Amino acid sequence: MAAPGVIAVTGLGTFLGRGLVERLLARSPHLRVVGLDHKRPFRMDGRVRFHRVDLTEPTADGRIAEVLERERVEAVVHTAFRSEPTADLELDHEIETIGSLHVMHACSAAKVKRLVVASSTMLYGPRPDNPNFLSESHPLRGHPDAHCVRNRVEMESLLADWRMRHPDTEVTVLRHGWIMGPSVWSRVTRYFSLPIVPMVLGYDPLLQFVHEEDCLHAFERAVLAPNPGVYNVVGPGVAPLSTLLRLAGKRILALPAAVLYRMAYYPSQAQTGDPPAAFYDYLRWLWIADGARGFDAFGEPVYTTKEAWISFVSERRMRRYR
Amino acid sequence: MADEPRGAAGEQPEGDDLSRALGSLRREIRARFPAPRAPVPRRAGPGAELDWGAVFADVRRRIATLGMSERSGEVDEFGMDEVVVDRLRPLLGLLFEHWFRVDLAGVEALPERGPALLVANHSGLLPWDGLMLSHAIERFHPEHERSRFLVADWLITLPFVQPYLARLGGVRACRENAERLLDAGRFVIAFPEGVKGAAKVFRERYRVKRFGRGGVVRVALETGVPLVPVGIVGAEEAHPLLFKWSTPARAVGLPFVPVTPTFPWLGALGAVPLPTKWVIRIGEPLALDHLAPDAGADELLVSRLTEELRSRVQSLVDVALAERESIWA
Repeated sequence: MAAPGVIAVTGLGTFLGRGLVERLLARSPHLRVVGLDHKRPFRMDGRVRFHRVDLTEPTADGRIAEVLERERVEAVVHTAFRSEPTADLELDHEIETIGSLHVMHACSAAKVKRLVVASSTMLYGPRPDNPNFLSESHPLRGHPDAHCVRNRVEMESLLADWRMRHPDTEVTVLRHGWIMGPSVWSRVTRYFSLPIVPMVLGYDPLLQFVHEEDCLHAFERAVLAPNPGVYNVVGPGVAPLSTLLRLAGKRILALPAAVLYRMAYYPSQAQTGDPPAAFYDYLRWLWIADGARGFDAFGEPVYTTKEAWISFVSERRMRRYR
Repeated sequence: MADEPRGAAGEQPEGDDLSRALGSLRREIRARFPAPRAPVPRRAGPGAELDWGAVFADVRRRIATLGMSERSGEVDEFGMDEVVVDRLRPLLGLLFEHWFRVDLAGVEALPERGPALLVANHSGLLPWDGLMLSHAIERFHPEHERSRFLVADWLITLPFVQPYLARLGGVRACRENAERLLDAGRFVIAFPEGVKGAAKVFRERYRVKRFGRGGVVRVALETGVPLVPVGIVGAEEAHPLLFKWSTPARAVGLPFVPVTPTFPWLGALGAVPLPTKWVIRIGEPLALDHLAPDAGADELLVSRLTEELRSRVQSLVDVALAERESIWA
């Protein structure tokens, strides 16, 4: 299939969904964009044809299929994932896993030609026995404590099954790393924006970011041109956590793992429903992805890991001094 | 930044307007926005009050940055930092020349340029053997390339050890990492004995143990790099392991707690190696050229080659042992 004429984006309110729609409308004026979300976004381009769909409803798949057929949608981008884990574990499962299943079923019912799904390199999981660079074929081991990662690992296995049963749909899975940039706001950027940043004493892992523009560019390329398969979407280069924090002029609070995990237990449970290990293990062990395959398919990113970080930091600082 | 010698732009060739304009711009930027610096405690002169607040701030900063506050932060993709290596090179040279008095032979047997996979016998819980061998290659090989050494899981994931080893060129030992490094054309040092090598007690010294499950040979066959056997003598006595103490080891996640003549009796001083005489012998590369790249699928061939490699390392160790007069000289 060549470039699609009608594209549907689920999760219009998420960072990826909103950014992608803005980008598509700005660059390809002939394109018709259909937006799906459970509530109307506060700010929305008038050219987007919006439909209200709640993925947690039991009959959401029929409703989405109806919309896709009526609008003659050719490609679907599924970005309706939470950027921050919720303490409501059941709701999280309903949205991330079952909601994605609804989208897949609707795509097969409406005979959509292309499906692009947003995944994450967090799904590989931070493990002491990871190789330094994880390729797309590495098993998704997730993190035993992080329920949002667990749900998305389950989503990817359902998607792999669905893909086998529907070979005539081109499926592209984009596993992006932690997104950094001037306008992104997530659990990760919130952690790095703390006045005093806690880290695990004795560990200084290498981290990897992708700039928001590079990430959106990869999504745009994936939906406009055929690239079936799984790709890591990350920035080139790595940087140690301590170096990044020093670049940002942050004050570091390094605590032993046992103390940090005990201190952060109740706040973390209340905010995310997970023990602190679900997040801080990502700042302790390696989980760097090998982006070479993605670079070949979508082009070399403009920002390296360090440049993406500087872009984020300079924006935050300007806000503070304004 | 603010205390850099003034007139840096004066070094530019005269008449180069653009660079002079840029230099003055840079100076102005530096003057207006001095880079934030952590407070450095002034040395207390005679009669001066010791500023305890500044000392406390400095200590806290050093703890928070793990004592690596002066590193550059420019790391390569495996986390090696050239600036840290440069700063520690004199110390490694001192250890190499005067502490261990390393007697090195066979560097000319190494290929002229990478990639190559060096396979050595392993000993001791601290990777002195890897550090000394990579230092030797960097210094005496015509290309002066810094080789990477592969480190066992439990050591590279140990708190406080992990950042330092990574900055110095240590990489977690696994197949993907070795293949990636070899594809980049580097010298890679592997210790296929693994924990079995590190856990040799003193009376078993210099008996080279089984080489893992043949992963080294398989990687070399697939990437088509030469396998170079290396024998290292002296590292066993640097930390002579009297016995292994397993009861407290479970609590800290170590395979065992080593008991040596200096550890744990002297605390952190026990990490200082004894000044033994070292001999490093680099052997002729094992020829794998006549084998097909898919020969790694032949398990019997792989295990035969692995055993041949092990026996070559053992014979290099035996020769080096015979050449050494005593442990100390």
